[in-house]
Amino acid sequence: MAGWLAPDESVAVNLTVNGEARQAHAPPRRTLADALREEGFTSVHLGCEHGVCGACTVLIDGAPVRSCLMLAVQGRGHAIETVESLCDGDDLGALQQAFDDNDALQCGFCTPGFLMLIEGFLRLEPEASRQQIVEAVSSNLCRCTGAVGIVQAALDFQSTRRRSP
Amino acid sequence: MTTAHGPLIGVSAPRRKNLELLAGKATYVADIGLEGQAYARVVRSSSAHARLLGVDCSDALRVPGVLDVITAADIDDIRIPIRLPFAESPEANRALQAPLARDVVRYVGEPVAVVVATDPYVAEDAAELVLVDLEEMDPVVDTATAGEPGRPRLHSSLGSNTVNQLAFRYGDIDAAFAEADIVVRRRLRVHRLAAAPMETRGLVADYDRNSGVLTLWGGAKVKHFTRSLLARVLGLEPDKVRVVEVEVGGGFGTRGEPYPEDVLIAWLARRLERPVQWIEDRWEHMVATNHAREQEHDIELAATAEGQMLGFRVRGWCDHGAYIRTQGLLPVVLPMLHMPGPYQWQAFSMDLDAVLTNRTPVGTYRGPGMTEATFVRERMVDILAAELHMDPADLRRRNLIPAESMPFVFNPGPGSSGVMPIAYQSGDFVESFDEMLAAADYHELRAGRQRARSRDGKAGVGMAVYIEFAAVGPFEEVDIICDGRGVTVRAGVGSVGQGVETALAQIAAELLGAELEDVSVEFHDTAEIPQGFGAFASRSTVLVGNAIAAAVNEIRIKSAELLGCGPDGIELHRGNATGPDGRTVPLAELGGVRGRFDKDGLTASFGGAVCSASVDPADGRVRLDRFLVAHDVGRAVNPRLLRGQLAGAASQGIGGALFEELAYDDNGQPLSVTLADYMMPTAAELTPVDLAVIEHGSPSNPLGIKGGGEAGMVGSLGAVVNAVADAIGDGADLLSSSVSPARVWRALNHQSSLDGAGRPAMET
Repeated sequence: MAGWLAPDESVAVNLTVNGEARQAHAPPRRTLADALREEGFTSVHLGCEHGVCGACTVLIDGAPVRSCLMLAVQGRGHAIETVESLCDGDDLGALQQAFDDNDALQCGFCTPGFLMLIEGFLRLEPEASRQQIVEAVSSNLCRCTGAVGIVQAALDFQSTRRRSP
Repeated sequence: MTTAHGPLIGVSAPRRKNLELLAGKATYVADIGLEGQAYARVVRSSSAHARLLGVDCSDALRVPGVLDVITAADIDDIRIPIRLPFAESPEANRALQAPLARDVVRYVGEPVAVVVATDPYVAEDAAELVLVDLEEMDPVVDTATAGEPGRPRLHSSLGSNTVNQLAFRYGDIDAAFAEADIVVRRRLRVHRLAAAPMETRGLVADYDRNSGVLTLWGGAKVKHFTRSLLARVLGLEPDKVRVVEVEVGGGFGTRGEPYPEDVLIAWLARRLERPVQWIEDRWEHMVATNHAREQEHDIELAATAEGQMLGFRVRGWCDHGAYIRTQGLLPVVLPMLHMPGPYQWQAFSMDLDAVLTNRTPVGTYRGPGMTEATFVRERMVDILAAELHMDPADLRRRNLIPAESMPFVFNPGPGSSGVMPIAYQSGDFVESFDEMLAAADYHELRAGRQRARSRDGKAGVGMAVYIEFAAVGPFEEVDIICDGRGVTVRAGVGSVGQGVETALAQIAAELLGAELEDVSVEFHDTAEIPQGFGAFASRSTVLVGNAIAAAVNEIRIKSAELLGCGPDGIELHRGNATGPDGRTVPLAELGGVRGRFDKDGLTASFGGAVCSASVDPADGRVRLDRFLVAHDVGRAVNPRLLRGQLAGAASQGIGGALFEELAYDDNGQPLSVTLADYMMPTAAELTPVDLAVIEHGSPSNPLGIKGGGEAGMVGSLGAVVNAVADAIGDGADLLSSSVSPARVWRALNHQSSLDGAGRPAMET
């Protein structure tokens, strides 16, 4: 890296999203959330852009991260996963199905963030207790459902995954 | 009626849309990216009340990538009109908002200028360079005194900050108080809240010079009103304006009214002749999108020693913020309409003032007016019960309007002003009340409270009952088109994340004998839908559902004519009408058929909430152990969706009581501008909401439906605060609808939950 960049001069940001390498270009101050959205991953939703609501949650190297609090350039060299990776072809994956079964969504805006939060959390803590799951789910905000269905969806998904990991 | 599946109304059909939403494939307004799209950033007032001496845009205009910067001087001097002209006054119409501030700014967040750039980051940078020259004036931030003489005036064309005074006199109020053994008096405050949908507002506008058509994406709720407004202010014919709804991340009453930004973004797209996108950020949302609830009420309630509630007097002030917006005076009209509730009063007297303060304008938020009035009335009922040493449930039951008095009307008497009769068409309030107590297992809740207290716990039980008025007219129309592929229903309402398209498809499929999956419901684009009033007041399923029923009747009449029989002999099944003689006509031959449902007045439903709570004396934290909502929906079209609506609304209300508050300081500076300050409840605080769905069919429409989208909210503040007051005990005088940990802690330490002029002390 040599010299200073002009304001908003784009730099190459090679991202690996859902297992696929992508040659993105973004100014250094572009958030990862905005860069992912510009790359077409509009499932990454922005509800507050200050790290509270969690609608922009994606997985970075398997851990849930608020992508509004990261710069795109910080994503270089890391494996990023978005909700698109949870689908099973045209069908829903098991966690998404558990959301549908438990009325864990209404308007759907917070949903991709919750899905990635739970996916990432249960990968890290597959044997988490109910209390730990409630605590993890409380990282994100849902304004429509009352969140109880989201906790139940996480619990159902945990048992599904235990049966067929 | 027979269909391929049997009945569909009343079945929990799966929600449409879920697959798209779960796969992350839905298109919200921020996801729209048109060729050549530019990005707008609104420059907002940093002061609550100030003379606007000048706006210097020169530095901003020099930033590379900036396309335009506009101020009030660039646009016509227009005001955004009232959409719902109930109790409208000349004063209210002199307090309408201009899209950009002229001469004076009146709240923090008021739009002053708009910057448009080729990149949203650049637009935001340049907005910081717009110099707004303000000369500070004294702000008005206290609701109850805002209208008094001598206060600074927000609008110089008005004699005071009061824009209307409503009065409702019923019965002989002096006689009722003369007869009383006991009178309880309090000043109660309803705190300022926000709907705060997870998706902020957003718009994309595009003007096509060749066709002369202006298209606005992101309008929802009242698309046809927005279309007429834009046509008028842009000088276009209405058919040259399209308002298109995309996926919506929560509405709750605040999204989709035409705001200043709707006019500005459309105007800019036309001026620049390129697409312009504006996405509200969260800070903006907390100061720019309608607030709700802020009110104060002096109320006195007269009763006999045996617990007969005779009458009440209320003198209240309802804050409308700095301007009257599209919802007009609903923030004062609706509390008045809902204040008497389900009780058999001998008399009451209500005086409610609509006042202006230097804060963000107030509009409607799920359960508007009814949530505030229910808190005020039901809190007083509990205070009376405590004074009389009565079980609050017994006190309520003995005062409910009996079923034999239905239909029931409170007619405004002499001295009333600006109000209409309060009419209940049907219902058995006592039976519904007992259903609610049984579902909540009330006696067990009370026993559990005693057990906790015997272990020195601070446990309480509270409830609130209410009447909700919903399903406002005047009418809705639908077109039903049957063709070889299925059935299309076009309607003028909107989907705001509530799943209305599923319920409407069920009604159409059942009445037409169609497969549910063959019915599509369209309401997204004003270019394709004749007209419509929109999604508010829990009206969509009632109004459009019955318009669908009217269209299906028309289909029966038309096919009967072709088949030479009476309409009652027609059987509709999978796209065909069959007469009694077995002859058949395909519905596709009928072309589009229109149905219309006209509705006078409002539909009243009884409901309530029961809550048990415990309080931690160390830090004032409240834990809800049980929360139940009971509501008479008339007829549940889709019980599962309905339950989602009731539980979701209750959870929002619980958050409002326990955590959320839009606080301001004495200078009118907002203190809750991030989601870290405006604390919404999460999975860790929320409890499962139990539901008792009551189905006493409504006589007001052929399908018998009542509203259901907002009801879970209405009793929430009252039930939670009553439970917390009961838990604290010792006559805890909780007078605010907020029972945040700080307020509860103060109450535990025998300090008022209000201070000074009735505003809460700052949370520290």
